Amino acid sequence: MTLLELEDIEKAYENEEVLHGVSLGMEQGDVEVLVGPSGAGKSTLLRCVNRLTEIDAGTIRLAGESIHDLDSNDLRQRVGMVFQDFNLFAHRTARGNVTLGLEEVLGMDHDEAVERAEAHLDQVGLAEQADSYPAELSGGQQQRVGIARALAMDPELMLFDEPTSSLDPELIGDVLAVMNDLAAEGMTMLCVTHEMGFARSAADTLTMLDGGRIVERGPPERLFENPQHERTESFLGQFTDFE
Amino acid sequence: MTDGNTTDDLADERASLVEQVPERRRIAIAIVGAVFWTWLLARWAYHNALLDVIATALGFPDLIRSEVPVLVRQGWIPGGPFRAVADAVAGVANALGPADVLLEWLVWLADLAAFAATIAPKLADGAFITVYLTVVSLLLGLVIAVPLAVARVYGGRVLSTLSLGYTELIRGTPLLAQLFFLWYALQLGSVARAIGFTGEPPIPQAAAMVAVVGFTINSAAYQAEYIRSALQSIDAGQLTAARAVGLDMRGTIRHVVLPQGLRLAIPGWTNEFVYLIKYSSLAAFITVPELFRAAEGVGSDTFRYTKVYVIVGLFYLALVLTTALAMGRFEAAVSIPGLDSSGNQE
Repeated sequence: MTLLELEDIEKAYENEEVLHGVSLGMEQGDVEVLVGPSGAGKSTLLRCVNRLTEIDAGTIRLAGESIHDLDSNDLRQRVGMVFQDFNLFAHRTARGNVTLGLEEVLGMDHDEAVERAEAHLDQVGLAEQADSYPAELSGGQQQRVGIARALAMDPELMLFDEPTSSLDPELIGDVLAVMNDLAAEGMTMLCVTHEMGFARSAADTLTMLDGGRIVERGPPERLFENPQHERTESFLGQFTDFE
Repeated sequence: MTDGNTTDDLADERASLVEQVPERRRIAIAIVGAVFWTWLLARWAYHNALLDVIATALGFPDLIRSEVPVLVRQGWIPGGPFRAVADAVAGVANALGPADVLLEWLVWLADLAAFAATIAPKLADGAFITVYLTVVSLLLGLVIAVPLAVARVYGGRVLSTLSLGYTELIRGTPLLAQLFFLWYALQLGSVARAIGFTGEPPIPQAAAMVAVVGFTINSAAYQAEYIRSALQSIDAGQLTAARAVGLDMRGTIRHVVLPQGLRLAIPGWTNEFVYLIKYSSLAAFITVPELFRAAEGVGSDTFRYTKVYVIVGLFYLALVLTTALAMGRFEAAVSIPGLDSSGNQE
């Protein structure tokens, strides 16, 4: 079943064109990784999917329904998002970060929300840290709380906006492990990341974006081993050289 | 917008008032404050009409003496010993001739203490009204200030302009002019009397109610400014995250913005609290018998103006320092673990 469909998405800020006719489709359970230089429009594309940013033209469909026919808050319950800077609620514990949406958006009662929050914190390996406040957690732990917060809403699709870019190298592994688990469990994931190891191992599709257009899209092995475009080759080449 | 920086600076300055006092001195303030407040609360209780009714009903008709008029209330600390010290030292000073300035200062201080002991009951009575005006106005002002600040930051063009207009109008005109406008121009006093504020204890008098209205309106504007700058300092990423979870704007403000913004506003709010304690003295000009007016009354009865104003100054100082200390404690008690008072990671 096609879960997410983007058709000819156009987006400009002021006069600067950010997305220019982007189209892609994701099946349920797909893991898609968006790569490209900064300014390529990757994050903007992600934010269009849960309407944190509104598109200028084109169509986005979630499970066959145009997202502009949905209430934006209902849409956001169905699409979880994880941020580069974690964006945890500073005044709430790890548990409280997860329960806020459950109680205030889904209308769950407190005990049920706590139980569900703790299950999801356990899932990301943070059962012990449920009572800690964000400022008391490491970056990697904060990001895993961010993932638990999004997962607890039971989304159909998860968006990851450079989830490891603000982390110290030694903390990236924990977050990637959680993302790998999720991918293995069949979560549909649209990820902007520079973690090429993750792209190779977990992604079904790799999409190279540049200047607001899709340069090349296909299975990661093909883009890495046999890129059709010189731009893809030079961009991915920087990473393979490291590995 | 133009004064965003100055309010922040003021808030920092205010916060430093007590925070930077070394621990030992802070304990000294706390001890003096505890003695002062124990005495003050006991004085209030001793002449409280409501407590009198309760005590009489319980079978202790003489425990609480609310029937004693303010002017003839007796102090608990005798002035006699201080007077004796003053006389004795004065005798020595006279014997030594005009050279001994130090001893004359001692005479002055002992005399001040003796005088303070006699007028303290009247000032305690005025202090009750000062505290009442300040606390009630501050809390009512807060109820208005929160929506004002939210409207200013998130209200869109119309609401934020209205909020800004209110704030600028109130902050741009003198508080005394505002009080006079309510009292003389709008004749709010007769309105208050008509709805039952007669001044018969324990009901406050009409003038006090007008002062509360004036201070509430005024304080709301200043509090709104402190809260606004606190709201604006909250990291926008958290708002995005709240929206991404599916919270609407209302839910985001209520569950994410305000719990943090109000905490961040505490230092500025403490400033406003301290200001209001002092500015509540303007209520004297519309006949409210608060602390300053009580002092004025003593002054015109005794003509000992210098000593009266020194003593009333010490009263205000005690109120202000204990308030700042208590608010510092409050700020620490509600602080978010791992973050300092300005919301930065420790």
